[in-house]
Amino acid sequence: MNTYIKLAWRNLWRNKRRTMITTASIVFSVFFASLMRSVQEGSYDSMIDNMVKFYSGYLQVQDTAYWEEKTLENTIEYDSSLTQKISQINDVLLVTSRLESFALSAFKENSKPVFVMGISPGKEDRIIKLSEKTKKGKFLSEKDDGALIAEGLSRFLKINVGDTLVMISQGYHGVSAAGKFAVRGIFKHPNPEFNNNMVFLSLAKAQEFYSAYGRYTSELVMVEDHYEVDHVERAVENLLPPDKRVMTWEEMSPEMASMIEGDRAGGIVMLWILYLVIGFGIFGTVLMMVNERKREFGVISAVGMRKYKINVMLFAEIFMLGILGAIMGLILTTPVVWYFYENPLPLPQEMAEAMAEYGVEPFMYVSIRAELFIRQAVTVFVLSGIVAIIIMFNMARMDMVKALRG
Amino acid sequence: MNILETKNLHKVYDETSVPVYAVNGIDLTIKKGEFTAIVGPSGSGKTTLLNMIGGLDRPTKGEIIVNNVKLNDLSSRKLTDFRLKNIGFVFQAYNLIPVLTAKENVEFIMQLQKRPKKERDKRTISLLEAVGLGDRVNSRPAKMSGGQQQRVAVTRAIASKPQFVLADEPTANLDSKSTENLLEIMEELNRKEQITFIFSTHDQRVVKKARRVITVDDGKIVKDETRDPEKD
Repeated sequence: MNTYIKLAWRNLWRNKRRTMITTASIVFSVFFASLMRSVQEGSYDSMIDNMVKFYSGYLQVQDTAYWEEKTLENTIEYDSSLTQKISQINDVLLVTSRLESFALSAFKENSKPVFVMGISPGKEDRIIKLSEKTKKGKFLSEKDDGALIAEGLSRFLKINVGDTLVMISQGYHGVSAAGKFAVRGIFKHPNPEFNNNMVFLSLAKAQEFYSAYGRYTSELVMVEDHYEVDHVERAVENLLPPDKRVMTWEEMSPEMASMIEGDRAGGIVMLWILYLVIGFGIFGTVLMMVNERKREFGVISAVGMRKYKINVMLFAEIFMLGILGAIMGLILTTPVVWYFYENPLPLPQEMAEAMAEYGVEPFMYVSIRAELFIRQAVTVFVLSGIVAIIIMFNMARMDMVKALRG
Repeated sequence: MNILETKNLHKVYDETSVPVYAVNGIDLTIKKGEFTAIVGPSGSGKTTLLNMIGGLDRPTKGEIIVNNVKLNDLSSRKLTDFRLKNIGFVFQAYNLIPVLTAKENVEFIMQLQKRPKKERDKRTISLLEAVGLGDRVNSRPAKMSGGQQQRVAVTRAIASKPQFVLADEPTANLDSKSTENLLEIMEELNRKEQITFIFSTHDQRVVKKARRVITVDDGKIVKDETRDPEKD
């Protein structure tokens, strides 16, 4: 085997310039493909991360009927052992309960329908970063009996920190819900809908307001990142009784999921066009390599080398060419991607402003998931393999006498 | 002892359109230790005959028997193995593997034969020294003259201890001095090691050294003479 490897390696460098040009084409292809995928996946990661932190979280445990009919009748009873078990699943960062419903809010002569969310302020703040968004007053404490209201709502109701917000609604089992809440703080939410209609209460205060003691509408499960969602979802599903279900961010935000899928598919089409170009490049070089050595192959076959051994040698050559390009491509990609990971590229001003409006950080992020880069290298390697197989078929049909004539 | 026999050997090209009878019924017997030249004008069928007896090409009709093995019956794979063990080749254009050194080129066939490294090294060095290339063992073909390359090619051909060596116009690309030198080497190998050489050639210098000269024309043997080059 050493002889074939030695022969393949030396043959590869018979025409140094050609080998270097082909290797360079593979290197840059791996580099551009990796960079393109890295930017693409980095932007998806950032979008998902932002979206999740906006509101939904990665996973939510709900009553099976809640998503279709969001009423307090479809809330679930707090089960500390379930929460405990979910918390212990690998890669779960935190589990927190929410009670969500609607109410009519009023201050002096003004009134407005609002979306009320009862939360555990400490835990929730680690997800939606409410304390950072609080622009006036202060953020809620765990047992707070006041309210944190959105900036747009405060403007509409002409209410300020320290004023009392009145809310009326229908509580659990149809009871009347009415309450007065001191405005503790005013926050600014990037989502205009949230910014105009949102009121946060502590979970206990919201349960008291809606007479839904010990009940909640959903339990948010936060994981390390969205790559961990699938296995955590399966694990949570196994823990749930039949009247509860777990929903992923993709199910709760199908538009975002399909937008990402569509964009990813577009990128992959571009990538395959790039691969096709590389494939033909490798094929052209290898075909030239083989054609100019036909007589040599004829000779070594004449002196007694079986065709399969010639094929092994050729395969080794093409393999080396592919792997050399792929490895060098990865070596070139790594520091560049790492640099942009550490120093995300700021987006152009207009785009940055639009992003900032939505609370999305205005940077172009890259993903450093090893799988992304290894996949590019493996794809180029597989392409080399396909080229090798085509060449090997060609070789199997070689007419030795014609080859010897050159 | 016959090491090669052909019976009613034919090779026809383009059988379906205009047939060309490259070899047209050749009966030939070669004995061990012969130093034979096959001569004839261009297109007479020398190379085709050589290709068939070397197992590189298959006859349209007739039989080729080498060392009691009928080559016609062998599969491509077995034929390759047969060539490896029984036949040595020397080509007009030397055809050494350019990326291997002289030593590695000679060793290559023995490696294919799976001979132990020690034996390979010993035989390669002694053969290269015997042909006067002891100082060029690590040179690649591109760094050697045509004569030196052809000497490496001859060494490669005999390194595997074949039944016979087929040499197709081995001196065609060589100057007089290199030709003389190469022929001396082959004569010596023939004499000392009883290696059978069969040449296809136009070169009168080769013909003069041959002890048997077979003249081929229009795919047939037209003359077959045995002679003593010393007396001639």
